[in-house]
Amino acid sequence: MTVILELEHVVKRFGGLVATNDMSFEVAKGESVGLIGPNGAGKTTIFSLIMGEHKADSGSIRLHGEELTKLATHKRIRRGVARTYQVPRPFADMDVLANIEVGLMPDSIMAMIFTAPADEEARAIARSVGLNDADLHRDPAELSMGDLRKLELARTLATKPEVMLLDEVFAGLTAGEIEQISGLLNEKRQEGMTYVIVSHDLRSLEPLIDRAIAMTQGTFVCQGDYATVMSDEAVRMAYLGH
Amino acid sequence: MSTQITWKHLALWALFLGGMALLPMLVGKGTLRTIIFANYLAIFAMSWDVLSGRTGYISFGHPFLIGIGAYTTAILSYRFDVPVGISIPVAVIVTMAAGTLFFLPALRIKGTYFALVTLAFMELMYQLVQVIRPDLTGGTRGISGVQTLTRGAVNGYYLSLALMGVIAISLWAMMKTRLGTALSAIGMNEEAVEGSGLNTTKLKLFAFMVGAGVAGIGGAFYVHYLGSIAPRALFDINFLFTIIVAALIGGASTIIGPMAGAFFLTFLLEYLRPFLPGAERYFIYGSIALILYMYEPKGLYEILRKARERLTGANA
Amino acid sequence: MSQILIQGLLLSGLYALIAIGFTLIFSVGRVLNLAYGAYLMLGGYAYFWVVQTMHMPKLLGILVAIGVGVLAGLLKHRLIVKPLKSDPVAVEIATLILAVVIQAGVVLVFNDSAKIMHPIVNGVWRVGGATVTYNILTATIASWVILIGLYYFVRKTHVGRAISAVSMDVKGAAISGINPDRINMITWGLSGALGAIAGVFFASYTQLSPSMWVAPLIIAVAVVIVGGIGSIIGTLIVAHIIGFMEIISTTLVAAELRGVFTMLLIIVVLVMMPKGLFGRGEL
Ligand SMILES: Nc1ncnc2c1ncn2[C@@H]1O[C@H](COP(=O)(O)OP(=O)(O)OP(=O)(O)O)[C@@H](O)[C@H]1O
Ligand SMILES: [Mg+2]
Repeated sequence: MTVILELEHVVKRFGGLVATNDMSFEVAKGESVGLIGPNGAGKTTIFSLIMGEHKADSGSIRLHGEELTKLATHKRIRRGVARTYQVPRPFADMDVLANIEVGLMPDSIMAMIFTAPADEEARAIARSVGLNDADLHRDPAELSMGDLRKLELARTLATKPEVMLLDEVFAGLTAGEIEQISGLLNEKRQEGMTYVIVSHDLRSLEPLIDRAIAMTQGTFVCQGDYATVMSDEAVRMAYLGH
Repeated sequence: MSTQITWKHLALWALFLGGMALLPMLVGKGTLRTIIFANYLAIFAMSWDVLSGRTGYISFGHPFLIGIGAYTTAILSYRFDVPVGISIPVAVIVTMAAGTLFFLPALRIKGTYFALVTLAFMELMYQLVQVIRPDLTGGTRGISGVQTLTRGAVNGYYLSLALMGVIAISLWAMMKTRLGTALSAIGMNEEAVEGSGLNTTKLKLFAFMVGAGVAGIGGAFYVHYLGSIAPRALFDINFLFTIIVAALIGGASTIIGPMAGAFFLTFLLEYLRPFLPGAERYFIYGSIALILYMYEPKGLYEILRKARERLTGANA
Repeated sequence: MSQILIQGLLLSGLYALIAIGFTLIFSVGRVLNLAYGAYLMLGGYAYFWVVQTMHMPKLLGILVAIGVGVLAGLLKHRLIVKPLKSDPVAVEIATLILAVVIQAGVVLVFNDSAKIMHPIVNGVWRVGGATVTYNILTATIASWVILIGLYYFVRKTHVGRAISAVSMDVKGAAISGINPDRINMITWGLSGALGAIAGVFFASYTQLSPSMWVAPLIIAVAVVIVGGIGSIIGTLIVAHIIGFMEIISTTLVAAELRGVFTMLLIIVVLVMMPKGLFGRGEL
C-alpha cells in the first residue's frame, strides 16, 4: 500500500475559530475515504487547505511525499489533486463544453494562443460523466442540479487528477441522479482513482468508501471501516448529541 | 466561446474596414475629424476591455496608462528631438512597464478595491505631472507644438483607421483562442480557473501588458495627431467615463462591442451638439449610458444578440 | 506650529464629516457609492439656491439641502443599488456614470461657472497668530456634533443598532428579524443627508462648481481605504491623519503636493494592508 496523500498536524484558524485543529491522516493510492462530520465540522476547510485556497497556519500536507503547503493552487493541480465544490459555480457565460475545455488547457500563454481547443477530448469527458451531447452547448444556468454536479466532475476530471476531493457530491440530487453519479464514481474507482468524499448522505456514501474518518469542530474523532466509525460513541455524540 | 475563425469572419472584417476606407469620399472634413476621435476612442475602449472587460479587474485609471504613452513620446520628441520612429516604440514599452506597476495591486486585491487603487494612480499622475519637472511636462499647461504625423483630416483619418483596424483584428484573433476563453473565465470565477491548473497571475499579467501596450500605442499616436497634450484633458474622470462607457455600452468582453460603443457615443455627442452646445450634452449622453447599463450590463452587443435569438427562435 | 495644529484640526473635522456618509454606506451595503461626491454638490447648490438666489433664511437652506440629499440617497438606492442587487462592481460603475450625469445636470441648471458662497457664519477669530473664520470653525464644530450624534444613534437607538447589526452580518441580522432592505434604505437616506450637510460646509470653505464632487469623493475614498470600513472612530482618526498630512505638506513641503501624499497613502495602504489600518470591523 503506497500512501499518496498525507496530512500531518494541520492547523487552520479563522480569527478566533479553529477550523482545523491538528488534523492528521493518510490516504493510500486507489483508496476511497469518506470524511464525515456535522455541519461546520471543517470538512470543506480541509479540502481548501489541501488545494491551497486557504493557507494552513501550521502542519504539513504531502502528495506523493512532496510538500504542498508552499505551492500555489494551480501547481497542486498539476501534481495530481483536484476538488469539486459543495456549491457548483461553473463559468456562467460559457457553454458546457467550453467549461470542460478550461480544465484541459495548457498552462502556457503561447500554447493557449497556438493550440486549438481540445473539443474532442472535452466531449469524451462529458460523455464519461453521463452528460448528454445535447447539453454540451447549453449554458450552465439551464442545467439541473444533477447535471451541474456532473459538469463539476467533468471539469475536475479534465485536469487528470490522481486524487479527487469530492465535496457533497450528492447534495440536491434526486435518487436517480445519486445512483447515476455513484455508478460513475465506482467506475473510476475500478480504474484506480483515489477519493476523499464528503457527504451528509451517509447511506449513499457507505458503498463508495473503504474507510471513514470522522471529525467535529475541526478535530479528528475516529477512523475505521464505516460500521465501526458509525458505532463509535464520540461520533454518535457529535452527530446526534447523545 | 472559442468558435473557429472562418472566411465569413474575415469577409466581414474586410467589408467593415473597406467601407470605413471609403468614408472620406462621402463625408465632410468636420465629420471626418469626429470619426478620427471615434477611432482613437475605440482603441482606448478595446484596451480597457482586454484588461477589465474580460478579467473583471475594473480599471479606473486607464487614462493613467494612455497618459504615460502620450507624455513619453511627447516629451521625447518635443524636448529631446527624438525621432517619432523611436519615441513611439519607447512610449509603448514605458506604458507596458507602467501596466506592470498597475498590476501589482491586483495580486492582492480585487473588485472594488482594485478599481480604487487605479483611480488613485490616475489622480496621483494628474498632480505629479503638474509639479514634478514642469520644464519637461509643461506643467498645468502641458505641451503644444508636438510634431504631427499627418497633414489634413483625410490622412489623419487613414492613419487612425489603420491603427484601429490592426489592433482590432489582432485582439480579436487573440481573443478567439483558448487564451481569450481563459481570460473571460477569470472574470466569471477566478478560483475555478486556478483550480483548473492555470496560473491566473500569469494570465492577468499578460492581459495587463497587452491592455497597457494598446493604451500606449493609442495614447502615443493620439498625441501626435492632436499635436498637444494637457493634464486636465487627459487625467480626467470625464475621459475615464467616456472610455468605460464606450466599452460597456457596446458590450464588454467582445471586440466589436467597445468599437461599436465608441462610435455610438461619439456620434451621439456630435448629434447633440447643435441642440446642446455645452457640457450639458453629457447629461443626455450619460443618462442614456446609465439606462442602457441598468437595462443590460452586457451592453448593446448582448441586446442585439438576444433580439436575434428571439427572432430566429420564433422562426424555428 | 500652532498654526499647523489649528488648521489641521479644522480641516480634519471637515474631512471626517465628508467621509462619514460614504463610510456608512460602505459598511452597511458593502458597496462604494462613487456618486457620493454628488450629494455634496447637490447639497451645496440647494443651499445656494435657497439662500443666495431666493434670499430665504440660512436654516431653511440647510434643511432644503438635507431634504435633497435624503431624496437623492433614497432614489439611488431604489433605482440603482436594488436593481443591480448590490453587485459591488456594477454599483461602482453605475454610480460613476450617475456622478457624471449629475455634474452635467448641475451645469444645465446653474451653468458652468464657479459660484462663491457667502460664509454661513460671518467673522474671524484671531488666536495665537492664526486667523480662523467663524465659518470653518462652525463647520468643524458641526462636524464633531454630527459625528458624536451619529455614534450615539448607532449605539443607543433601535434603528442604529439594526444598522450596526446589518453592517456586521446581513444574514445574521435578517434571521433576528431585521429587514436588511429597509435598513439599507434608511442608511442610503441618512448617507445622503450627511453628504448634503458636508456639501454646504465644504462649498462655503471652497466654492461651488460642477466638478466640485471629485475632491471630496477622493477624500472619502482615502478615509475608507486607510481606515478600513465601518468604525466611526476609525473614520475620525483617519480623517485627522489625512487632514494633518495635507496641512503639513502644504506648509512645510510644497502647496502643489497637497494631494500627492493622500494618493500615495491610498496606494500603499491598499497594497500593503488591504484590510486598512483598523481592519474591517462593524460600525
Ligand atoms: N473563509 C472563512 N472565514 C471564516 N470562517 C470560516 C471560513 N470558512 C469556513 N469558516 C468556518 O470554519 C468552520 C468550518 O467550516 P467548513 O465549511 O469547513 O465546515 P464543513 O464541515 O464543510 O460544513 P458543512 O457541512 O456545513 O459544509 C465553520 O465554523 C465555518 O463557519
Ligand atoms: Mg462543507
